[in-house]
Amino acid sequence: MDLFDEDVGNISQPSPIALVEAKRERRQPRNQSKPASHEGNAKWLHAHYDPYSTLYTFSSCIALADLHGDGDNKLIIANLGTGKYDMKLKVYKGTTLMTENTIIDLPTAVCTFFMDTHDPRTPAVAVASGPYIYVYKNLRPYFKFTLPPLDVNPVEQDLWNQAKEDKIDVQVLKEMLESLRADGSEGTLTVRSLRFLMLDPEDMPTFANLHKHSPLKRQTVITCMTTLKKSHSEEDAISCLVIGTESKDIYILDPEAFTVLTKMVLPSVPVFLDVTGLYDVEFRIVVSCRNGNIYSLKKGSKAPKYSIELSSQPVGLQRMGKNVVVGCMDQTLQCYTTKGKRLWVLTLPANVMTMELMDYKSRGFKAIMVALDNCEVHVYNEKYLVNTIKTEDIVTGMKFGRFGREDGALVMTTKGGGLIVKILKRNSVFEEKDSRPGPPAAQNQKLNIPKKTKLFVDQTMRERENAVTMHRMFQRDLYRLRLDAARSYVKALETSMTPMSADPLEPLKLSATVNGIGPSFKLTVNLQNTSSATPSINLLITFQYDEKLYQLQRSSIKVPLLVPGLNYAFQTLVECISDKAIADTIKVFVLRKGKSMPIITGNINMPVSEAQVVV
Amino acid sequence: MAESEQDSTVNQEQSAKQVEPDNIQADDEKRPEKDMTDVMRGSSSLLAPEGVQSPPQPQPRPRPKKAPELPIFECKNWLIHQHYIRKEYGLCKSLIKEELQESQGMCEYAIYVQALIMRQEGNIQESLELFQTCSLLNPQSVENLKQVARSLFLLGKHKSAIDVYNEASKMNMKDWEIFHNLGVCYLFLKEYSKAKENLKLAIQYSRHEVSFQMLARVYLLEHDVDMALDIYKRAVEFSPENPDLLTSLGLLYLQTGQFQRAFEHLGNALTYDPVHVKAIMAAGSMMQTHGDFDVALTKYRVAAASTPESAPLWNNIAMCFFGKKKYVAAISCLKRAVYLAPFDWKVQYNLGLVHLTMQQYASAFHYLSAAINIRPKMGELYMLLAVALTHLEDEQNARRAYEQAVLLDQKNASVNLNYCLFLMNHGERKAAVRQFSVFEQKLQEARKHSNSVDQELLDMAARLGPSLHLGENLVWNKQQGADGANSQPPSRAPLPAAHTNDVPPAVDTAVPTAPPAELEPTAPPESDLDALPSPPSHPVEEETDSRREAPRRVAMEAD
Repeated sequence: MDLFDEDVGNISQPSPIALVEAKRERRQPRNQSKPASHEGNAKWLHAHYDPYSTLYTFSSCIALADLHGDGDNKLIIANLGTGKYDMKLKVYKGTTLMTENTIIDLPTAVCTFFMDTHDPRTPAVAVASGPYIYVYKNLRPYFKFTLPPLDVNPVEQDLWNQAKEDKIDVQVLKEMLESLRADGSEGTLTVRSLRFLMLDPEDMPTFANLHKHSPLKRQTVITCMTTLKKSHSEEDAISCLVIGTESKDIYILDPEAFTVLTKMVLPSVPVFLDVTGLYDVEFRIVVSCRNGNIYSLKKGSKAPKYSIELSSQPVGLQRMGKNVVVGCMDQTLQCYTTKGKRLWVLTLPANVMTMELMDYKSRGFKAIMVALDNCEVHVYNEKYLVNTIKTEDIVTGMKFGRFGREDGALVMTTKGGGLIVKILKRNSVFEEKDSRPGPPAAQNQKLNIPKKTKLFVDQTMRERENAVTMHRMFQRDLYRLRLDAARSYVKALETSMTPMSADPLEPLKLSATVNGIGPSFKLTVNLQNTSSATPSINLLITFQYDEKLYQLQRSSIKVPLLVPGLNYAFQTLVECISDKAIADTIKVFVLRKGKSMPIITGNINMPVSEAQVVV
Repeated sequence: MAESEQDSTVNQEQSAKQVEPDNIQADDEKRPEKDMTDVMRGSSSLLAPEGVQSPPQPQPRPRPKKAPELPIFECKNWLIHQHYIRKEYGLCKSLIKEELQESQGMCEYAIYVQALIMRQEGNIQESLELFQTCSLLNPQSVENLKQVARSLFLLGKHKSAIDVYNEASKMNMKDWEIFHNLGVCYLFLKEYSKAKENLKLAIQYSRHEVSFQMLARVYLLEHDVDMALDIYKRAVEFSPENPDLLTSLGLLYLQTGQFQRAFEHLGNALTYDPVHVKAIMAAGSMMQTHGDFDVALTKYRVAAASTPESAPLWNNIAMCFFGKKKYVAAISCLKRAVYLAPFDWKVQYNLGLVHLTMQQYASAFHYLSAAINIRPKMGELYMLLAVALTHLEDEQNARRAYEQAVLLDQKNASVNLNYCLFLMNHGERKAAVRQFSVFEQKLQEARKHSNSVDQELLDMAARLGPSLHLGENLVWNKQQGADGANSQPPSRAPLPAAHTNDVPPAVDTAVPTAPPAELEPTAPPESDLDALPSPPSHPVEEETDSRREAPRRVAMEAD
C-alpha cells in the first residue's frame, strides 16, 4: 500500500488543500481511523491510527530513514515486545509492516547512519541492546559490536586463574570472592563471580567448571545512543555512533572500523544524549544523567565542562539552537543555555511522557513537541505554545520527520501499543506567538455567591427592629441554661448518678453493653477499679427497671474483690416481657454493703425488642 | 570475525575489531550476514534458560567448553529509569521485582528506584530501609547517603539526617544539595546560625531558588526583615521570572511599608503567572486599600477558580462587596469564609462589622464576642463590642468593654474618640475630656509615623473638641439620649482617607466607608441635635478595621 506515494504529484499542485482533503476522504475507510475533530488538530492530517499494533517502545527506538535509497522513507521501530521476549526490529513501508527481525535482548535505542560512501546511498541501522550494537545493512544482519569490557579486579582475575589451573578448590574460591565483594573498594565484581556466589554450595563446582575456562570479563550496558556526523554535514554524510553506557562513559565509535575514537567519563549514568557539530571539526554533546544533572561535553574534553542542576529528573532533552530544552518530572518545561543559565520555565498541565524536536525543514520551522499524559501533544516554539494535538491514547514515543514521501510526518506510539501517524498540512502556519489567551479563563466566570432569600431579608428587618429585645432574651436564656446545667451537674454529683465515681475513696468506673436483638438480651456490666493500689471490697450491683417490661435473671450481683486496674465483667439475661414495641431505660447501681446511697449509677438505654418468633 | 567475539575467546576485542572491519569490507556482504544470524540464533537459544531465571547450567551441547553468556545485572536499569521518569510506577515495580528476583536483591539501581517510588507513595520508613540497603551495596555512593538522609529528614529525624549528611559531605565537599539540606535540618532544629551558615555555603556552591527561600525564611524566623528582603532581592536577581520569589519579595515590601515596590513585584509575579493565588491575594488586598474593588474582584475570580475553599479569599471578596455597599453579598461570602475557617478571628471581626453596619446589633454582638474569645487581647474588638452593646442599650457592659478597649489598645486613636463620645453621651464630661486628650496624643503619634489620618476621624474630633470645652451640658444631654444609639452608626461613615495608612488592610478599610451611607438614614434625627458627636464612633470602627486587616492579610499570605 503506497499510502504516501500519492503525495508525489501534490507538491506542485496549486491548491494542495483540496487534494489533501480529498485524500483524507479516500483514506478513512482504509485505515478505519476516526476523523480528527479536535480544534488543535486542524493543522494536521490524520493519516493512520491502529490501536492494536502491540508496540512497546520509546522515542529513542523509533527512526525514519530511506533504507533502500528509493526516496521512500521507512519507519523503523525497535519493539520491546512483552519486555521479556518477542523483541523485534520492525520496518514499515507506509503503514504496512514490511519486515521483522528478531532482536535477542531488549533494544535500547535505534539509529540510522551512513557508514560508508558506497552507492546506492543506503543507511545502516544500528540497534543498541545490552552490551552490543547490532548493525543491519539492507535490513540484514551485518555486524555486531561489543562494548569494550571494563577492568576486572586483578585479585578476582587471579582467583579465577588459579581456579582454572585447579590450584584452589571451589570452597576457597567462594570465600575469597565473598571477602572481595564485602571489601567493595575496587568496584563491583564480574557477573560470573556474583552469580557464582548466589549459587547453592552443591551447584558451585559445576558452575565453576563450566565457566572457568572462558576469559573473565566485566561488561556494561548501553543506555542511550545517537549519531554524530564525522566530517561533512550533508544529509548522507558518514556518521559516528555516540553511545552512553551504564558505566558512566560516553564512547564515540568510528563508523567504518568500529573502533572507539573517543571516550569521555561522566559523573553519573547518561540517560538522554543530544549531539551537534562534526566529529572532525567541533562538536558538543549535551547529556542528561540519572542524578538529575545535565552535562555539556566538547571535543577534546575528557570530563564535562558545564552542568545544569535540575530540581527533578529530566524526561526529555532537546536542543534548540544554542539552548537546551528539558521536560522534567515536576511537570515543567525548562530552557537553559548550554552554559547552564536558565532562560525560562513553563508549567505544563500534565506529566511529560516524551519529547521530540520538530524540524520542518521545508518551512525552516523548528519547535519542541512534548507529549503529555493527558493525551495531548503540545508544540512549543520558544516558550510559546503554538499547537496542541489531541490523541486517542497517551503518547510514549514520537518521531517527526520524513516518512514515505511526506516531509512533515509525525509518528507516535501510544501506551496501549497503538501507532498513530499524522501529517502536517502544507498550508498550516504556526504563529510565532503565544496561542494562550491573555487573562485566564477563570477571570470571566462569575463568582458563586448565594442569593439573598426573602426569609433572610425578613429576619434582618426583624432584628433591626427588635435588636434590644432579642439580645436581652438571649442573655436571659443563656444565664438560665448555664444555671440549669450547673444545677444538674451538682445534682448528679450529689446522687452519684454518673458512671465515674467522684469519691476518691471509691475509685470505680462503670460501663455496660447490651447484646442481642430480643426478646432476650444479655446485659454486661464492666467494673474497673481505677485506683493505683487500693482494692475495692464489699460491693453489690443492682438494677432498677420497669417490671412490666423487663424481667432480669439476676437482679442483684455480688461483686468480688476488685483488683486495681483490671476489668471485671458481670452478666445477666434480660427478658423483654412486653409484646409492644417499647423500650425503656435500665439503671445500674453499684452499692456498698450496708449503704443505701449508690456509689455510681449507669443508665442503659435498651433497644426495642424484636417480636418473639414462635416456631 | 563476528563469531570470534561470541566465542568470547577474544578477550582483546579492540584488536579483534580492528581486524574485522577490513575483512568485512573485503568480503562480500553475504558472509558477515551469515555469521551474524548464527550469532543471534546461538545466543537466543542460550538466553532461554536465563529467562527462567535459573543459574546457567551445563547443557548437553556439542561444545561443552563454551560457557553460556551470563546476563548483566544492570541490563534493565535504563528501562526502569525510563518508566520511573514517566511516573509509570506500576510497570516500574513489576520490572524491579523481576530484576531483584534475578539478581537476588543485588541490583543497586532497582532497589534505589523502588525506594524512590516508596517515598512518593508515602512509605518513608520502607524507603529509608531500602536506601540503607543501597548504601550497603555501594558504600562509595554519595547519592545513596543523600537519599538515606532525605528519608530520615522526612521522618522528622533531623539529628540523624544531619549526621548522614555530614558523612556524605566528606565524600563530596562541594555539593550544594548536601549543604542546603543540612541548612534545612538545622532550621527545623531551630539552630538558626548553623542553618544560615550551611545555606550560605549551598548558595555559594550553586545558586538555587530553594536555598534563597530557605535562607530568607531563617532570617524571618529571627525577625530580621531587612536581611530577608536582601536575600529575596538577590534571589529575584538570579531568577527574575519566578512568581513565588516575586510574590514573597512583594509581601516583604508590603510588610516594611514600601507599597509602591510591593505592588510592582506583585504585578510582575502576576505577569509571569496570572493564576498565582498568593500574588493575586496580595495584589487584590492592595487594590482594595485603594478602593479598586472591581479590579480586585476580577482578580479574585481567578483565585476562586483554583482555591474555592480558601477562607481568606472569601473574606476579601466579602470586603470588596462591603466596599461596594453590597452588604448582603458581603454577608454571604463572610458566612462561607466562617464556615471554612470557624476559628479565624478576622472573619468574625468582619462579620461583626458588617452586621453593625446593617444595624443588626444582636448578631454583631455574637460575632464580635466570638472574635474576642479567639483573640482576647485586641482593643479594637472590645471597642466594636462596646458600640454594639451601646446600641443594645446595655450601658454597663458597653462601658466595661470600652474600658477594656482603652486598656488594651496602644495606638488606635479611634478607640479613645469613641469612648469619649460614649462618655459625652452619658454626661461624664470630665472623663470624656481625658479620653479626648489621649486621642489627640495618639493622633500626634500617628501623624509622626504615617502622614495620613482618616479624614472623618479628624472631622469628628473637630466637632467634638469645641463642644467638650464649651461645656454646653444641655446640648450634650440631649444628644446622649437620642444619639447614644444612633450617633455611633454615622461615625462609621467616615471617609476612606484613613486607609492609606494601613495599606494591607485595604479590605477592611473599604468596609467602613460603606456603613455611613447605611447608617445615615437612621441618624438624621440626631443630626439635627448635634451632627458632631455621632460621627466619631464610626470613624473609630473604620480605623480599627483597617488596622486589624493589615496584620491579617500579611499573615494569610505568609502562610
